[in-house]
Amino acid sequence: MSLSVRHVRALRPVRALAAVLLAGALLAGCSTFSDEGRAQYERGQGEEPAATGTAAATESAKPEPPYDVRPLLEPKKKYLGLAADGAPAKMTSVEDFARRAGKKPNLLEFYSAWGDQYEQQLVQNAWDYGAVAFIAWEPFKTSMKDIASGKEDAYIHEYAQSVKELNLPVAISFGHEMNGFWYPWGTKKTTAAQFTAAYKHIHDIFDDEGATQVIWVWSPNVTHPMPNVKLKPYWPGDDYVDWVGVIGYYGATGPNTYQSLYGPTMTEIRTFTKKPFIIAETAAQAGERKPADIKSLFQGTAERDDVIGFVWFNFDKETDWRINSGPLSEKTFKEQAANPDFGFDVTKP
Amino acid sequence: MSDRTTPTWADDSELHDEYAYGQQYSQADQQQYGHTDDSGRRAAQRESLRQYAQQAQTRPQMQPAHSPDQDQAGGYQPGYFTETGSWRFDVHGRTSEYTDQQAYDTFAPFDPYASYTAVEPEPAPTAAEPEPQKPGYTLPPVAESSWAVDTRRSKLLGRGVLLCILLVQAGLSLRLTGTAFQDEALYIASGHYELANLLHGTKLPVDFAAYFSGHPKLYPVLAGAVDSQFGLAGVRVVSLLFMLGATTLLYSLTRRLFNLRAALGAAALFSVLQSTMVLGNFATYDAAAIFLLGLSAWAVVRTDRMKAMAVLLAAPPAALAFGVKYASGLYLPTLVVLAVITAHRHRGVRALGRGVVLGTGIVVLLGIGYYFSGPLGGISSTTTDRAKGTDTAATMLQHSAEWGGLVFLAALGGTIAYVLRARMGEMPWIGGETSGRWRRAALGVLLTGTALLAPAYQIHLHTEISLYKHVGFGLFFAAPLAGLGMARLVGPHFRHPQLGILLYVVTLVFGMVQAQRAYSFPDSTQMTSYLRTVVDKKGSYLAEEQEVPAYYLRDKTNWTQWQNTYFMDYRGKDGKQYTGPDAFRQAVRDGKFDVIVMHGDVSPVTYEAVKEGLKNNSHYRLAAVFPYTTSSGEHAYRIWVKR
Repeated sequence: MSLSVRHVRALRPVRALAAVLLAGALLAGCSTFSDEGRAQYERGQGEEPAATGTAAATESAKPEPPYDVRPLLEPKKKYLGLAADGAPAKMTSVEDFARRAGKKPNLLEFYSAWGDQYEQQLVQNAWDYGAVAFIAWEPFKTSMKDIASGKEDAYIHEYAQSVKELNLPVAISFGHEMNGFWYPWGTKKTTAAQFTAAYKHIHDIFDDEGATQVIWVWSPNVTHPMPNVKLKPYWPGDDYVDWVGVIGYYGATGPNTYQSLYGPTMTEIRTFTKKPFIIAETAAQAGERKPADIKSLFQGTAERDDVIGFVWFNFDKETDWRINSGPLSEKTFKEQAANPDFGFDVTKP
Repeated sequence: MSDRTTPTWADDSELHDEYAYGQQYSQADQQQYGHTDDSGRRAAQRESLRQYAQQAQTRPQMQPAHSPDQDQAGGYQPGYFTETGSWRFDVHGRTSEYTDQQAYDTFAPFDPYASYTAVEPEPAPTAAEPEPQKPGYTLPPVAESSWAVDTRRSKLLGRGVLLCILLVQAGLSLRLTGTAFQDEALYIASGHYELANLLHGTKLPVDFAAYFSGHPKLYPVLAGAVDSQFGLAGVRVVSLLFMLGATTLLYSLTRRLFNLRAALGAAALFSVLQSTMVLGNFATYDAAAIFLLGLSAWAVVRTDRMKAMAVLLAAPPAALAFGVKYASGLYLPTLVVLAVITAHRHRGVRALGRGVVLGTGIVVLLGIGYYFSGPLGGISSTTTDRAKGTDTAATMLQHSAEWGGLVFLAALGGTIAYVLRARMGEMPWIGGETSGRWRRAALGVLLTGTALLAPAYQIHLHTEISLYKHVGFGLFFAAPLAGLGMARLVGPHFRHPQLGILLYVVTLVFGMVQAQRAYSFPDSTQMTSYLRTVVDKKGSYLAEEQEVPAYYLRDKTNWTQWQNTYFMDYRGKDGKQYTGPDAFRQAVRDGKFDVIVMHGDVSPVTYEAVKEGLKNNSHYRLAAVFPYTTSSGEHAYRIWVKR
């Protein structure tokens, strides 16, 4: 066969070409099909490489935009807030209060311990009732240092994701009364720097997660029990706080006018921020002066444009803080609450 | 001689009139031999024998006493004298192989073989032939065909396969999905403004010509017009049509340059490249530019046997390609040189004329275009004098190799195979002229080398921006040779179809994976739908890749309301002038913007500056975070709004 020589010769370049192509493919394949390349491909398809993809699933299931809480930050009218027994898990105490006050509260405060999950159902209940939920988040089982150092990140992330998922506005006051000495996060066991670091850290994680539905409340106690504690070191910064939630009760002893109770604290705070005030917890001790105290609270709040409302602590705890501790108190409260400045529809502030 | 009964071995050249006996016969003798009566014929044969014998006796090595076997060893002897004095005709012992024939003396005059051999005329010496008259026309060389001759049936078959290739290409492109990419948004949005400017004389919001990498009155206007009717999907379909058109042109020009099989290979390989898939679903200049370059290349090849002036047909699409995307200019020299190499009517210096004609045509058209379009700052800022980047040559080479290495290697192989042999030799009986080796080598080097232009130029600029698209331009030119390489790999008569299939499938897999990776940009659906709730006609908005919201929200906002994250000059409220990141930082501190949209993926430096500006800043509040996933990882749009 004279053809065979030509046949073999013709095959030689084909083999060389095939070999070169194969080598090229292998070389290119090394990077295109490497682990990183594979991860890029999967991400390109919108999948999370080697992950269960739960976060992605919840994300894609929520196409609605995040709730814009800005109108709730400085509403034209004042919040009429309430903290009541069992609410907002059960709304009976809230309805009872509303009946006595003659007006539905539009801010419902409840307490949440560190380690508790975000109570989506309670926030939803409050919202369904027509009120914004206000959570006092009490870091009992941890320390500010641990939070700031990132030891609690998993929990905070989970909490933030849950907030984002529900997509309803919620006011969160972390570590309230930090300028007092009575809580573990108070002045005795925690420094101001540790407190602000923890506060910022939590806020940053919420931002990372995109939990923008939170109204951030920084909630110091009124300063007169511990006049030596300066507030400014505890201030996390204007970009971290939406409301300054001053806490102060009308007691049988101590300051008993709006100005004397809140004035010094508010003045001190105004030296470093212009954020709006809300009286985050208040009530008046049962007694003869209670109706006057109620009147002072309503009128003082109404007079100041930079105070956007208050939360009445309607418990019978230590003393009877409830509005119905006496008929006159209840009557006064109803009269004052009739002021059109108080209460508004939170869906259309 | 049509009724010849000679066995085939008698055709062996060794038998052909070895001792030039035929020369002794006149032409007339031979004629006579065939037509005279028996007696005359015998006389002629006797004469023949006599001459045979005479000739043989004069030869010194002729030994009549020798046995036939010994004679064989002596060399080529047509026969010998027998003991009876007669002539035993024996050629290479072939007649004596038959033992029964040994017993007989075979006499030459009656041996049909001998007489045949004896009278075979020597072909007339070529010098004696009259000089053939030069015809008034020249037939073009027969193109190498495959599957026998390129009949109507094979043409139909080829077109059928091409259709399948195009369908696959369309599927691979359309499989990619996403919201508008920054560049798409920019071109389409600018197209709307340019269109309004053309139709109603509306003032342009900015001078797009100053920073566009193609003329804003060409592709963007088309994109804007299509977008008004069919939306982004429609504009992308136009790109798909351009790319399908490019593949078809590639098929056609390769078929003319080489053959049908190479054409199918070229189209198949080009259709599954990463760049082809991406650009087929990408509303930018690139698809249009590739189509126009392809059209020009096709015209150059199509007019190869026409008069030199016909190549001017290739000038308008080439000039238009440059206008559509300035980077196409890189490939205009290829077209000009291609015009020279394919000037089949001419050789040497005269072939250059064709290139000169095309080059002049393109330059004149571009000159006219430039005269009417006015200053185009975009040419220098985006193409010729682009800001040098920091991407290393090694990375770019590696990426280019990943994107087009396989096809480039196939083209290289095709070039080598083509230079070595113009034809695969599948059908040796189809002869005809082929281009010379130098011309073949020039064509191969030109087309294959063009694939290196984009990577080389961008390595020179140190920037990898858009390289993943630009490699596709060069690969279009290399594809014909890659197709030829594929055809050679498969071999004559489809000897190794598996190799061709392997090459196609591997290219396809690479293409799909890489396209998926390249076609991955932020999903802006949620971002724009949220922004829609917060923007108005008055606000000022800072947005990373601001073109995207500016495009989607063009009904609610104006182009100039959107501040990009690349450049900014800002006079702060403190009266100081700021530039660069400082300008962004200060503007955010001053609360200049009503909305800030950032993800840090494109402008990381600005992102850091903005974050610093947001520190302790009571103007803004984080309003939304929309995470998205691209091939580079997980990112999120962060939107800050004024409180």
